[in-house]
Amino acid sequence: MTWTDEELVAKSIRGDADSFNQLVLRWERPIYALAYRTIGREEDARDVCQETFLRAFRALPGFRGQAKFSSWLYRIALNLCRDWIRRERRAPVVQPPEDVDLIELAAAAEPSESIEDRVARKDLMRLVEHAMALLPEEQRTAIVLKEYHGLTFQEIAELAGCPLSTVKTRLYQGLIVLRRELSKNSAATR
Amino acid sequence: MTELSCGYGDDRDGAIVAFLYDDAEGDPADRARFETHLQTCARCRADVAALRGVRAQLARWSPPEPSFAVVSRQSSVIGRQSSVTNPQSAIRNPQWWRDIPAWAQVAAALLFLGVSAGVANLDIRYDRNGLSMTTGWSTRADGAGRARGSDGAGRARGSDGSDVAQGFSPAGQDAPWRADLAALERQLKTEFRSAQVSAMTAPAQTVRAASATDADVTRRVRALVEDSEKRQQRELALRIAGLLRDVNAQRQSDLVKIDRTLGVVQNSVGIEVMKNRQQLNQMDLLYRASQRQ
Repeated sequence: MTWTDEELVAKSIRGDADSFNQLVLRWERPIYALAYRTIGREEDARDVCQETFLRAFRALPGFRGQAKFSSWLYRIALNLCRDWIRRERRAPVVQPPEDVDLIELAAAAEPSESIEDRVARKDLMRLVEHAMALLPEEQRTAIVLKEYHGLTFQEIAELAGCPLSTVKTRLYQGLIVLRRELSKNSAATR
Repeated sequence: MTELSCGYGDDRDGAIVAFLYDDAEGDPADRARFETHLQTCARCRADVAALRGVRAQLARWSPPEPSFAVVSRQSSVIGRQSSVTNPQSAIRNPQWWRDIPAWAQVAAALLFLGVSAGVANLDIRYDRNGLSMTTGWSTRADGAGRARGSDGAGRARGSDGSDVAQGFSPAGQDAPWRADLAALERQLKTEFRSAQVSAMTAPAQTVRAASATDADVTRRVRALVEDSEKRQQRELALRIAGLLRDVNAQRQSDLVKIDRTLGVVQNSVGIEVMKNRQQLNQMDLLYRASQRQ
């Protein structure tokens, strides 16, 4: 039987550690992905992910269900990312993904994919990472939450603590910057 | 370049974003209005098309797989936390340990080794009887006498009278590293004394740890050193693997470029050869024509 987040939260509050572990299993990858795309460092993203769940576990008795559990987790993770960015006092560093192995990529890819296509795909990922790192934190967060986590504009507005129209403006402006940067970099690599 | 004008109004950015992400929460009337506008506004159509392209590119960006399962650490930590009376310390534990640099961890392991030796009252001597090492507290008083003892070269006795370590051939009273051993002994004892002082003020958990048996202490030190070694080996392996991957990627990229360049060169050379052949043929024809005349 599949429990909903809210049911698992209720069981966790009653002391069932396994229920919380199920929540972790369910949400660890989205939270890790959110942290990675926000701060751009694999190791730190893992730390943020772990800290997010530890904080959530500690604060669970105080969780009243005003928001969805996922939104609550996103808020914790984003606050930690924000702290990280402030602590580092610099723009997020984008590192090439260490675990991307061309051989593995080749195995996972379509049989018809050539080496050239594979290299081009990897290049594109780097371009996107680089362009995302240039965005201001608010725009980057809005794009990550909308593009990769499918949150509604309203949910993003609540997480960011800003009006809904501001979210849309941030998204638009961020996408325009990405468009400029991606076309610039694509032209440079051609 | 001529800037196309758009008269949609102030909410143009929001309308484009809502349209782009197919906003189900938005007002359907607003969406219909923007769709109507799109049919007549080339600038908005161009923007929407370009931003769709950006979204397509963004979809290709996936984070690297974590090199270990976050959840496995997480679950174990939470599992431990639920069974302890002080959750705060359980939460902090994994963080502080991982944040310490490798050199500091090695130093800590060595210090721990020293403290452990102090707890065990490790007594190392090298004299005319050879190298001797004893542990325990009960034979403290006869320690000096043992140095003068003559129970045979290369023998050592523990606190319970049993042989603890077998020495090797005696090197004489003035062996060059005798002073070093004595200094090491002094250092270990000093560290143990300072550890004892701090243990007085530490929580009960620390006191319990200090009173652990020799075997426990040795096992813990060994585990610490093994952990450190494993971690360093893993880091080294990761770095080497990363380097190999980069070299491989670069090599493949270079091969593709070389292949392309060769293709271009071959094409241009082929074209040149064809042109030359045509010119030669023409010259040949002219020459034959002139011969016939």
